[in-house]
Amino acid sequence: MNFLQPLVLIALPLMLLPVIIHLINQQRHRTVPWAAMMFLMTAKRMSKGMARIRHILILLMRTLAIAALIFAISRPLSGGWLGSIGLAKPDVTMVLLDRSASMEIQDLQAGESKRSTALKRLTQLLEQGDYGTHLILIDSATGQLQEVDSPKALLSLPMTDATATTANIPGMLESALTYLKANNSGRADVWLCSDLHENDWAVDSGRWEAIREEFGKLEGVHHFLLSYSAPATNNLSVRVENVQRWQRGNAAELILDVIVRTEGSNIATRKVPIEFEVNNVRSVVEVELDARGASLQGHRIPIDGKLTSGWGAVRLPGDANPLDNRFFFVFSEPPMRKSVIVSDDARIGEAFRLALAIPPDARLQHQAEVISVNRIGEIDWENTGLLIWQAALPSGLLAEQLQNFVNNGRVVIFFPPNQNPGGQIFESRWNDWQTPNEQELYKLAWWRGDTELFAHVASGDALPLNELRTYRYRALESTGTTLAKFGNEAPLLTRVATEPGAAYFCSTLPTAQFSSLERDGVVFYVMLQRALAIGCRALASASQRDAALDVLADREQWEAVAPIENAPSLSQRGLHTGVYRNETYWVAINRSYTEDTAKAAPVETVDALFDGLSYRRIDVEVGDTSALANELWRTFLIAMMLALIIEAILSLPSKKLENNPQLDFTPAAESAD
Amino acid sequence: MALQLKRDYLDQKVLERLSTLQLHARLPMIGNVSGKHRSPIRGSSLEFAEYRKYVPGDDTRRLDWRAYARNDRYYIKEFEADTNLRMCLIVDTSGSMGFAYNGMSKLDYARRIGGTLAYIAALQGDAVGLYCAGETFHREIPPKRSATHLSTVLDELGAAEPTGETGLADTLHEAAERIPQRALIVILSDLFVEPEVVRNCFEHLRFRKHDVAVFHLIEQNELDFEFDRPMRFVDMEGGEPLLADPIIIGAQYRRALEVYLESMDEVSRDTEIDYHRICINEDYGDVLAKFLLGRTPKKRK
Repeated sequence: MNFLQPLVLIALPLMLLPVIIHLINQQRHRTVPWAAMMFLMTAKRMSKGMARIRHILILLMRTLAIAALIFAISRPLSGGWLGSIGLAKPDVTMVLLDRSASMEIQDLQAGESKRSTALKRLTQLLEQGDYGTHLILIDSATGQLQEVDSPKALLSLPMTDATATTANIPGMLESALTYLKANNSGRADVWLCSDLHENDWAVDSGRWEAIREEFGKLEGVHHFLLSYSAPATNNLSVRVENVQRWQRGNAAELILDVIVRTEGSNIATRKVPIEFEVNNVRSVVEVELDARGASLQGHRIPIDGKLTSGWGAVRLPGDANPLDNRFFFVFSEPPMRKSVIVSDDARIGEAFRLALAIPPDARLQHQAEVISVNRIGEIDWENTGLLIWQAALPSGLLAEQLQNFVNNGRVVIFFPPNQNPGGQIFESRWNDWQTPNEQELYKLAWWRGDTELFAHVASGDALPLNELRTYRYRALESTGTTLAKFGNEAPLLTRVATEPGAAYFCSTLPTAQFSSLERDGVVFYVMLQRALAIGCRALASASQRDAALDVLADREQWEAVAPIENAPSLSQRGLHTGVYRNETYWVAINRSYTEDTAKAAPVETVDALFDGLSYRRIDVEVGDTSALANELWRTFLIAMMLALIIEAILSLPSKKLENNPQLDFTPAAESAD
Repeated sequence: MALQLKRDYLDQKVLERLSTLQLHARLPMIGNVSGKHRSPIRGSSLEFAEYRKYVPGDDTRRLDWRAYARNDRYYIKEFEADTNLRMCLIVDTSGSMGFAYNGMSKLDYARRIGGTLAYIAALQGDAVGLYCAGETFHREIPPKRSATHLSTVLDELGAAEPTGETGLADTLHEAAERIPQRALIVILSDLFVEPEVVRNCFEHLRFRKHDVAVFHLIEQNELDFEFDRPMRFVDMEGGEPLLADPIIIGAQYRRALEVYLESMDEVSRDTEIDYHRICINEDYGDVLAKFLLGRTPKKRK
């Protein structure tokens, strides 16, 4: 319990006043000679029972009445979780607000989202209490710290609005930690408002241990988690994937996959209308929805053949989360899929060229070119999606060029050179060639099949990697993530952490003296085509991006295309869903995939993240805007009155004595006369 | 009668007022001289008692010849015998009798009652004795009829002091044994003894054919027990003092007293004693008048 006037509690010992008065009265006794001692002794024996309990109760009621009065004057606040705050006021109050899209799940009756509920309740609490010298807001969308004048301002700041972004809770806590350490703040209250989504919390991240350790070093920091972990009772979300524009003579059509996901237990099998909007033309398609959701694969929308690029949107009827009922998409003509193979070995270069030049779909245009190391200057970096590097690892200017290439969203795959391994790039270097004593040794023992280049095919079947034979490979020294490895733990394929493009290292070559990649063909072809598809995304003039603060930072002069109404301000554009255009380049910004699919982390797991810290979780319901803390002085006044009434009742003389205040003194015999 | 009495505890006005009343025994008494009280022995007074059949050995002078003439049977005509009364005052002089009201203690009150009764008894020619009961039977004046003896009794009564624990029960048992003939036993005490103990004493006295009258003296404060703060009650009979809060134990005290008084009523009823519960703020003249009138025999029709 917290108190608005805690100093009044100093008077709490006054509650002992009735006991002290009682004791003083006991000492103030008069001495009186008494004859009828036999009745006194009897009375004393009798008073050891109920009468004594009654008298103790009277004293207790008087004590309680005074205590209740003192408590009432000290203006207590309800909320058992506030007990750990103690009586001291914080120097700093930090509000860490999760503004991710999933926080917009609403209580349909109250019309309040998790985010707005949290803000209102927190504002109310901070206004009632003392939030200290500084009130700092860290919002998940921008990650920036902002000092707020008053708790009420939290409700009107643009930094507390809804966004389509994801949250980085560990990152927010690290920002809070940095602030507290930099400012040598004393006692601080850190209020964290979140729906505990797994992807936002990254509970498996190694960062938590460091966060715990660093917060543990700070004294007087209390963590409060306003947890809105309850899932929505009835929510649908829509997402568009694989948007393709195909030209058929003078006509054209869009082919796209629409996925509707369900959340909540009240989903019954029913039909849901999906509204499509392309080039201001709207159409509605009904899909059958079951408990797992629904999908509309390869949905075709005819468009004007002259419309080579543009945007569209898919909408669902309103439900618990309005933010996931609309999904923007953009389209353009597929780009020329250009790849370059850098190799001095013509045989090997040809193997790569053949695998890359044959398109998986006849409507795609592929171009593959083999160049030797000394012709590197001829590479058209701007229009190339994939670079195969089978040469000594470059350094200097060329290495920088390769890094820029990857940073622009393209893909490079490094294959081992025959001779000189070269230097180091992407924190990786080639070592010596390895030749096995037994061929069995170089069968793949493990590969990652859920994603990346060796992912299972659309039907769910695995690639025939178990049939792959490797006769020689070059050892790799790398900090990257292994995607496939041999039985001796040596990596076959490694990915280096790079965004938004990708850099891979494959430790063998496709020709027969090194492996069966070329001979078997399937794995080799799929691997290269997947890498080419990823790299060519950056070549397309239309792209889908997840909402984030700097998502539009790669270009300037973006023109907002959709939505027209309630368009976000320039600085907030990347945080909200929408479509933007820069000359011929289109971008659709939507919430991330994980916002639709991630579940709330178990509260026990989240609690464990704060082990050893002063931490209190407050589970609240969305839409419940009742105060986190209420003043309880009325309750205590009522308690005081009750105590006084009970005391009065207990102090009343018993009925018998009241009716017969004087004993019947006349002997019975005389009375009869 | 012109007995010269100078005992300051006796009120001349009360004596004059009560001098017209007589002290009667409720039971036949055995005296040594002729008096005003019935005797269990047939005597030669003028008051006819009964006829009985003649048995050999009877005095033929007491034969009723007229009855013989009518019935042809011998009847002896018997008359009541009147004798004097022995009144024994047993005064409780334990410490508790010192409990006072407006300056008058229970012992003072007992003195007035006892002294006045002694005077009335002496005035009508009855013998008066005094037994003071403290812890033990510490003072004993056997009943006698002389005026000087009355003076001795009154002096002794005036000199009695309340002290020590009560030995009333033992004293009463001892008195029952020591007083040889039927007597009027007047007990003046606050009777702070368990009712069952008192019952035994009274039954013992009744068994010895004594006419027992009891003045149970109580002070008003003992009844009310009205105190507004914790008190240290000092036992007037020398026991351990007791610290108590009357607010807490008041109800229990009154309840205990009520039970006690009810028990005393029952004891007096069962033992057929002449029981008088007196609050010492009452006028003792009125109390005595009521007592004397209550003992006046009703006229036979």
